[in-house]
Amino acid sequence: MFLAWREIRQNKLRFALVTAVLLLVSYLVFFLSGLASGLAGLNREAVDKWQADGIYLTAESDKSLNQSMMESDLVDEIEADETAVLTQTNLIADNGDVKSGVALFGIRPDEFIMPEPTEGEEFSEEFEVIASDSLKEEGFSVGDELELSGSDETLTIMGFTDEARFNAAPVLYMDLEDFEKVRPGASAMSTQETPGQPAEGGQGPAEEVEQPDMINAIVVKGGQPNDVPDDLEYIESEIFIENLPGYTEQNLTLTFMIYFLFAISAAVVAIFLYVLTVQKISMFGVMKAQGISSGYLSRSVIAQTFILAVIGVLIGFGATVLTGQFLPAAVPVSFDYGMMAVYGAVLIAVAVLGALVSVWTIVKIDPLEAISG
Amino acid sequence: MTEHVLQLEEVTKTFGSGRTEVRALKETSLEVKRGEVIAIIGPSGSGKSTLLTIAGGLQGPTEGEVRIAGERITELAEKDRSKVRLEHVGFILQSSNLVPFLTVSDQLKLLDKVKKGNMSKEERDGLLEELGITKLTKKYPNDLSGGERQRVAIAKALYSNPSLLLADEPTASLDSDRAFEVMKLLKSAAVKKNAATIVVTHDTRLTDYVDKVYKMVDGVLHLESEDGGAKPLEEGRTDFLEKGGNEDGI
Ligand SMILES: Nc1ncnc2c1ncn2[C@@H]1O[C@H](COP(=O)(O)OP(=O)(O)O)[C@@H](O)[C@H]1O
Ligand SMILES: [Mg+2]
Repeated sequence: MFLAWREIRQNKLRFALVTAVLLLVSYLVFFLSGLASGLAGLNREAVDKWQADGIYLTAESDKSLNQSMMESDLVDEIEADETAVLTQTNLIADNGDVKSGVALFGIRPDEFIMPEPTEGEEFSEEFEVIASDSLKEEGFSVGDELELSGSDETLTIMGFTDEARFNAAPVLYMDLEDFEKVRPGASAMSTQETPGQPAEGGQGPAEEVEQPDMINAIVVKGGQPNDVPDDLEYIESEIFIENLPGYTEQNLTLTFMIYFLFAISAAVVAIFLYVLTVQKISMFGVMKAQGISSGYLSRSVIAQTFILAVIGVLIGFGATVLTGQFLPAAVPVSFDYGMMAVYGAVLIAVAVLGALVSVWTIVKIDPLEAISG
Repeated sequence: MTEHVLQLEEVTKTFGSGRTEVRALKETSLEVKRGEVIAIIGPSGSGKSTLLTIAGGLQGPTEGEVRIAGERITELAEKDRSKVRLEHVGFILQSSNLVPFLTVSDQLKLLDKVKKGNMSKEERDGLLEELGITKLTKKYPNDLSGGERQRVAIAKALYSNPSLLLADEPTASLDSDRAFEVMKLLKSAAVKKNAATIVVTHDTRLTDYVDKVYKMVDGVLHLESEDGGAKPLEEGRTDFLEKGGNEDGI
């Protein structure tokens, strides 16, 4: 550390440049990781909030919620400590001022995925909803009447709840009983249809009452999925999330970028330090001739890299957090500090790895050449 | 312990082979005692540096035996030779002896860190005073003159109380006044520290300060003169070491 630190102090500009590179790379890594967890949250926070173990979909749906259609009485065949039926559709909600794409969830209020309102109250009457509080930032508020795309009915926001976004859309929770009446195009109900397609109509209300509700999925908590009913498939929550449209692709892209940045910072540090080391070959040679071991000199270079990497990563971290304060709410970053600590540690480790090139150079220096040169 | 710090027995060094073979050193034997200062003079390319680096264990001889402080270093691995250098040998080179980003006092502190320094504070201050560099301790090598730098290099080489001090053209980059001064200081400090000293130089005038002068021609070493030119040391600067002269305990 003695040599390492003194050299840094004497050659501030040189080492500031290395630090700056590490700072920028770590800034980018931290930001990307924030973006990755922010975007992941956009997709999955509603599912995470249920704290469910898994979800039953139809086998033919290929893990896609929208493509899974089943009758709600299948719930009786499922073994689990707690079950909750779920139906879902995407539509546009309009409160007169603003429009927003939302995910409408039909649930039963006495089941475990029923959210606690963080503001306002639960739905109790027909066409009342609890909305994701992310809609507040878009200009929605309690009491708003929402016009829906593809439906003549209006919904009323009774309350807001946190962590309620699904596949990047704010969620509206409503009672399953009313759900069919607002499903886009569903002036009447046809059990064979997938959501989003217009109903052909023709079935009378009398028929409707006798039929069980159509749902997309059954969410479960506790118990073992031993006896999976025919035509259904049990999917663990994490797998379900990974199969949300675009989720895995998006995650992989960002993770890939982060890994690339690790490789880049290793290379940049390796090159930078190598150049500095080559400039000092004769000095190292003289020191080795004087009996200072390669080990001591190598440790000094490693210590130097470590010091610079720690400084760079810490400033990068600070800069990221600071930037986070000033970002508009629309930017989906959320900092997962545990993950950032891991990435920071990896960056430092990778920088030290880059210094090994220099260590190798130092070990190879023949003191004789320094003496006779 | 043998009185001879350095013993070379029929050492030869050959570089390359066949048509490109260079016999840099032909059968050479040399012994240097504690407190003895010898000079090796000779034209460029005659093998002086080769001899010095073999003597310091920086490279092995082709044939023959080298002992530093009684230890046969010809048989040691580079790692162990590095340790012998650390413990017994001080080098002074023509230039670039100093680490550019360390102050004079940090140059010495570095040696403490790698356990090469083994002087007490009094000894160190005495050495700095002897070499006239007490006031320079906070300066960086770039802010020193060539003569000052070489004086610091001498302090550095002697800081570990080496039993063998090897200097390869230590005055080559200095004008002749500075060269005389540095040579004088090198001699007096080495004697006070009781090191066996070899100085390679091409400047024959500097040999006035040494005990023996050898001449190297085409890889062959001759004794030129013995005790002949050695002048008595100047008074004054060496006072401290005179008083502290506890060479036997080193
Ligand atoms: N590493 C080496 N490889 C090949 N030849 C060398 C090497 N080192 C020295 N020589 C040769 O050995 C001879 C003596 O060199 P050197 O000891 O450096 O001379 P001096 O120091 O007296 O000028 C020269 O001819 C030189 O070219
Ligand atoms: Mg030479």
